[in-house]
Amino acid sequence: MSPEAGLPEGILAHHYSSLERQNEAMRLGMWLFLATEILLFAGLFTGYAVYRYQFPLAFAEGSRHLNITAGTLNTIVLITSSFTVALALHFARIDKPRAAAICIVLTLLFALGFLGIKAVEYIEHFQEHALPGKYYAFEEVNIAGAAMFYTMYFLMTGLHGLHVVAGMSVLSWLLWRTLQGRYSSLYSTGLEMGALYWHLVDLVWIFLYPLLYLI
Amino acid sequence: MRLSETDSARLAGSPPAPSYLEDGTTLMSWLNTRDHKRVGVMFLVAVIVSFFLGGIFALSLRMKLLQPGPFLMDALGYNRLFTLHGVVMIFLFLIPAIPSAFGNFVLPLMIGARDVAFPRLNLASFYLYLAGAAIAIYGMVHGGADTGWTFYTPYSSTTPTQVLPILLGVFILGFSSIVTGLNFIVTVHTLRAPGLNWMKMPLFVWGIYATSIIQVLATPVLGITVLIVSVERFAGFGMFDPARGGDPVLFQHMFWFYSHPAVYIMVLPAMGVISETVCAFARKNPFGYKAIAMSSIGIAFVGFFTWGHHLFVAGQSTFDAGAFGILSMLVGIFTAIKIFNWVGTMYRGAIAFKTPFAYICGFLYFLVFGGMTGVALATTSLDIHWHDTYFVVAHFHFIMVGASVMAFLAALHYWFPKMFGKTYHEGWGLVAASLIILGFNATFVPQFLLGNYGMPRRYYQYPEHFQALNVASTAGSTLLGFGFVIILIYLAIALRWGQRSEQNPWGSKGFEWMTASPPPTHNFDEIPTITQMPHDYRTHEPPGVIRVT
Amino acid sequence: MAESALPSEKLHPDREEPHAHSAVPYVIVWIVLLFFTALTYVTGTMHLGKWALPIALAIACVKSALVVLIFMHLKESSGTTRLVFVTALIFLGLLMFFTVADVATRFKLATPAGAPFGTERSQPEGLLEHEMPAEPEQ
Repeated sequence: MSPEAGLPEGILAHHYSSLERQNEAMRLGMWLFLATEILLFAGLFTGYAVYRYQFPLAFAEGSRHLNITAGTLNTIVLITSSFTVALALHFARIDKPRAAAICIVLTLLFALGFLGIKAVEYIEHFQEHALPGKYYAFEEVNIAGAAMFYTMYFLMTGLHGLHVVAGMSVLSWLLWRTLQGRYSSLYSTGLEMGALYWHLVDLVWIFLYPLLYLI
Repeated sequence: MRLSETDSARLAGSPPAPSYLEDGTTLMSWLNTRDHKRVGVMFLVAVIVSFFLGGIFALSLRMKLLQPGPFLMDALGYNRLFTLHGVVMIFLFLIPAIPSAFGNFVLPLMIGARDVAFPRLNLASFYLYLAGAAIAIYGMVHGGADTGWTFYTPYSSTTPTQVLPILLGVFILGFSSIVTGLNFIVTVHTLRAPGLNWMKMPLFVWGIYATSIIQVLATPVLGITVLIVSVERFAGFGMFDPARGGDPVLFQHMFWFYSHPAVYIMVLPAMGVISETVCAFARKNPFGYKAIAMSSIGIAFVGFFTWGHHLFVAGQSTFDAGAFGILSMLVGIFTAIKIFNWVGTMYRGAIAFKTPFAYICGFLYFLVFGGMTGVALATTSLDIHWHDTYFVVAHFHFIMVGASVMAFLAALHYWFPKMFGKTYHEGWGLVAASLIILGFNATFVPQFLLGNYGMPRRYYQYPEHFQALNVASTAGSTLLGFGFVIILIYLAIALRWGQRSEQNPWGSKGFEWMTASPPPTHNFDEIPTITQMPHDYRTHEPPGVIRVT
Repeated sequence: MAESALPSEKLHPDREEPHAHSAVPYVIVWIVLLFFTALTYVTGTMHLGKWALPIALAIACVKSALVVLIFMHLKESSGTTRLVFVTALIFLGLLMFFTVADVATRFKLATPAGAPFGTERSQPEGLLEHEMPAEPEQ
């Protein structure tokens, strides 16, 4: 029996010889996309490294004035959301679409939680005037380079936040598709791609957390 | 069972499936196509329009430079024009020219696939290109930028001109480029026809594959760089602003991490075209297939280790300058391998001196001179003298126009019958080729001299004793312009009234000639099984050998 | 089928839904990730001086390796996908290495006293050591 039997219409494109080949193509395409994401963040990590090297004191001081509790909490939230999205894919593959949908909803809730905590932090920064570049007027840290720490902080967390929002829209779309019963043991590649993207969002945060909050 | 004769007869004669050009003729059937061939043709039209736009900017610049003093335009207008010339030529023409237009069209044909891996993404890539171009052109119409295409900070984050839309346009164009590259990599990995293993891939496919790697890995860094500059402009984050503790050299590092490999995005597909056509017109197997294929990957890799040679006088450390100087020269090794192999392919071949071959000769000459002056420029001590002079301008035009545009024209003429099934006028083709090669030399050789005498680039005015050479350069550029207009005219005539061409007018052994010209929508009635090496001119069988099981 | 002769086709005959069996690995990885988060928090708040950065980065690398290999299934992926990921990391390293190397080996400019962005590195090394807070001052 060919593995394509019983597949919903329109999943296997005409120019692929088999579903296996198409899945392989999608996986490779997704990883290439993730590679571009890594290199997108590479620019910011490089900037961080350069300015951290130039202003070690300011970076240490700036880091000490961030809300480390919020940062740690967010790390836990994001790691758990990564776990639930992995579970979602797992459930979809063993033909439990309802459990998969619940996991995606959980992931979305965690993502919202992450953004909420982040928003609380941002509000604190605004109140303290711990803002990047020309808006910097934070009285507690007043060394050369302190503004640069906040520039990097806002650029990195801001870009990461945009990725969280993008990931949430992808996951909402996938939730819709899961509820339609599109993902099963026969085919789950679409969900797999979305999960990969979400894991990348987690991956970036795993590095942002120690670099910004801890050292 | 080999059915080569009947099969090629069937393909050459009235094809059973309508060609991709006849399969739907409404505007929507083009705008909403998933067919890689139609996307390729749309890209081709778009990049040719961009090329003429950039060319008009270039000619206006040269006209101004006829006079040492103020002439035709004011200084700000001049600054805007060279910025627009650079942005249009690089982001709208050179980067997508060969990969997105010809790569899209012939790559799936060459590997025996019915389409690229992600046809919808492919179409999206075209629309991203259009969107990026539209936003950039909006910026141009509303005043344009005066930063040069390099957008060096802190000037680009403080100048009152319209930098923001152009940056945004570049960002979106980068997306388009990434999507195309990603698509090609996946296509090559997953959609090769049976029997077509890596060491049987046509050399053009190797060139495009190597290009795609650079597109995917380098372009995101440009994306984040222009994004940061945009944020600097409207929010004053100061990451590249020395007044706020930022480091402008960091911008240059990040910018050239993309923009130097981008040179190889422009030249690697060009090299692929030359590898392909040189075999077809010398009627000989490639000399050193593996060496040509591997040196493409080599250039793609080593090309990432050289960006610092743009920063020799920017305040970069001596350590980095030395390291980058040495690493830059490695590119010369791989390029030389290719050049020797092409010449080796021609040696004792049965050369058919058709229009594409004229461009091949031009390409080789320009690449050698452009490449050698590049090695000279990578020498730190020499670069300090030549930096930001017309010597650099002439050097990179030798590579970008000399090599890439010659290859683009070779590809255009070589694949014209494949794409449209029409023949163009060979005589006019050779006239235009001679005019372009002559005009090109007349334009840029004087610029080498001017640069060596110390004339800086991007200056509105210059001392009077430079005028003679500048007039020579402008005269040359006019010839160059005439050459391109002639090509446009006779190709347009060929499209409308040209004779129907044969299926394989060059007798080429390139795999893209396995199918009809122009190809049917799904490329192949049956996916071919590849048994030959590519460019195998020792046999008399048609390319690839189509086998029906 | 003739396609099966292709190398990419026969890469992973055993990759037929190998993850379908159990969710236990995910749970284990999740717990380990939480443990490492706690560890990096504790070591991070100890202010270990020059060791802080390497330790934090090492922990982050372990955590991300777990995410990539298990959650993202790179462990079971084809060689090409792994190559893509490793290549991206290499080029990330490349950009960082030469850029930081530039800043680190640059000729140190003489910064006049009171200049707003006289970098701390341009001051005498001893002063830097002295000013570097080695103890937590919370």
